[in-house]
Amino acid sequence: MADSPRVRRRPRPSASFLRFLLGRAVALVLLAVGITLVVFVLTQLVPTNAVATNLGEQAAGDPAAVAAFKAHYGLDKPLPLRYALYLKHLVQGDLGQSSLTHDAVTHDLGQFIPATAELALYSVVIAAFFGISFGVIAAMRRNRPVDHALRVVSLGGISMPTFWIALVALYVGFFKLGWFPGADRLDPGVLPPPHKTGLYTIDALLAGDWGLFGQALHHLVLPALVLAAFSIGLLTRYTRSAVLEVIGNDYVRAARAKGLPERIVVTRYILRAALPSVVTVLGLVFANVLTGAVLVEKIFSWPGIGQYAYQAAVNLDVPAIAGVSLFVAIVYITVNFIVDVLYGVIDPRIRVR
Amino acid sequence: MSTIAFRGRARRSSGRVRPAWRQPLALTGSAIAIAWIVIAIFAPLIAPYDPLAQSFPISHPPSSAHLFGTDELGRDILSRVIYGSRVSVPIALLLVACAAMIGGLVGSLAGYFRGIVDGVSMRLVDLFFAFPAIILAMVVAAVLGRGLQNAALAIVVVAWPSYARVVRGLVLSIGDTEYVQSARLLGSSARRTLFRDVLPNVAGPVLVLATLDLANAILLLAGLSFLGLGAQPPQAEWGSMVADGAQYFQWWWIGTFPGLAIFTAVLAFNFLGDSLRDFFDPQTSWGGDDRR
Repeated sequence: MADSPRVRRRPRPSASFLRFLLGRAVALVLLAVGITLVVFVLTQLVPTNAVATNLGEQAAGDPAAVAAFKAHYGLDKPLPLRYALYLKHLVQGDLGQSSLTHDAVTHDLGQFIPATAELALYSVVIAAFFGISFGVIAAMRRNRPVDHALRVVSLGGISMPTFWIALVALYVGFFKLGWFPGADRLDPGVLPPPHKTGLYTIDALLAGDWGLFGQALHHLVLPALVLAAFSIGLLTRYTRSAVLEVIGNDYVRAARAKGLPERIVVTRYILRAALPSVVTVLGLVFANVLTGAVLVEKIFSWPGIGQYAYQAAVNLDVPAIAGVSLFVAIVYITVNFIVDVLYGVIDPRIRVR
Repeated sequence: MSTIAFRGRARRSSGRVRPAWRQPLALTGSAIAIAWIVIAIFAPLIAPYDPLAQSFPISHPPSSAHLFGTDELGRDILSRVIYGSRVSVPIALLLVACAAMIGGLVGSLAGYFRGIVDGVSMRLVDLFFAFPAIILAMVVAAVLGRGLQNAALAIVVVAWPSYARVVRGLVLSIGDTEYVQSARLLGSSARRTLFRDVLPNVAGPVLVLATLDLANAILLLAGLSFLGLGAQPPQAEWGSMVADGAQYFQWWWIGTFPGLAIFTAVLAFNFLGDSLRDFFDPQTSWGGDDRR
């Protein structure tokens, strides 16, 4: 991994980098196609009567409506053709209609995504801050009491059931102490800020409404912290081992021998070299946050995509659950693609693999 | 996506076992894990009451008669937590064994034959890795129908790819090491090399992964049950008991104790897995690769 001092070079796109980028992009596209196939197959396995659930009883009794519905979604055609049709709809941005909300799935996703995005954003920031700090501290004090304590803390973090810790946090922070608001993104009856990004804190700032910003932040603190717990544990572990891999290098010793202050040695020499391999797990952290969101949102009544997915799964709302999993998987592989490319930019050796 | 966790290091001399008292983590982990296994086996003898009997005062806080209190239907929570171990622990063991076998088989085939077998199976693994575990498990559980069996099946679907990837990497790198090459040159058969030289080196990392995966499996199973996609009422299962607690929020004991049970069981296997990893990969000791 990253264990040599980086020679400062002008970043110029070399042939090897372009080849690397192209290879990864092709892999990304193939993976995306594979994902659509998996999602399609899964939806075909669902033992429900798509006609009845989507049209409602009255329309389902009308042969013309049924035929029109079947023709639109190609339900009267063989599987490969249906998959082709599914892809065609997908390209046109048609994910079908949710049988629960009776809205287009894309419309629903557009409504629910910002809430989850905001929650995820804050919790990734919290996790990165604490996880990386803890990891550096543990590595610098290797095998001392602090290191051992942080090991237990990080193992505790990845062992806590997110939904349970959310419940406990809500009980203590809201019910007992009353320090935090209970549920939802804003207090009851408060209108959200004018829609620009859909992230309430940012929209409130854009509108210059500091009170609303504070309130949105207040609502975010508890769920974001709870959601970050697992990722803090994970990042602590990764950062620690990444730092340990570079800490014994000659250039670190040389920096110390030069008499550089410890602060500079840690930030400029150790962290600079260790961070790239920490960045590679951000994709993993992101996946964890999405996973946790499904559980945390239920407890905090957070109107996000996790709640939507949960409702869809429980009610066998096939287009909705297919849309959510497609969206999440695409986002996830895109994040991983970006991380991969970033890593290739930072560490040229990775490109030849 | 980086999976550089386990290098195929030939570990011959470094495997000195530290005395147990020097490894508090391993000790605590195994103590709790063994305790849960014993509780699961002897649940009927240990539990003070019938876990399904709705015969006590409703929502009674913890007292000497009911150490963990009673739930909204008047069932004894301690007994339910004890019986809950009979669901989570054996299912987790079983499904991790299944996932390790499926993944191990795919991975060793890919690593051994390389070429097209490798390409196809690793693309398949990539595909499964593209879905966050709980989303995939949710879809599978929803498609197959709600229930404990289907939730377990869903977790196997989610869990096997990591074994395939790790085993493949190990088989590939160990196949390239000099001692394997020289064994082959000296005329040892492919099967002999596989069993004598390759498998022992694969076993350690897979054991580490499986132990950590036990923790993940318990968590995921509880998560699915919490969402209502796993165990169905009235069965006593930790995740669905926490879901009960979330509904009857003001009675903290309903959700807290089953949650603690999940936490301790998961923590035990994480402690164990982490100590095992120290043993097999002492270079940086704790810290490495795992996926949820």
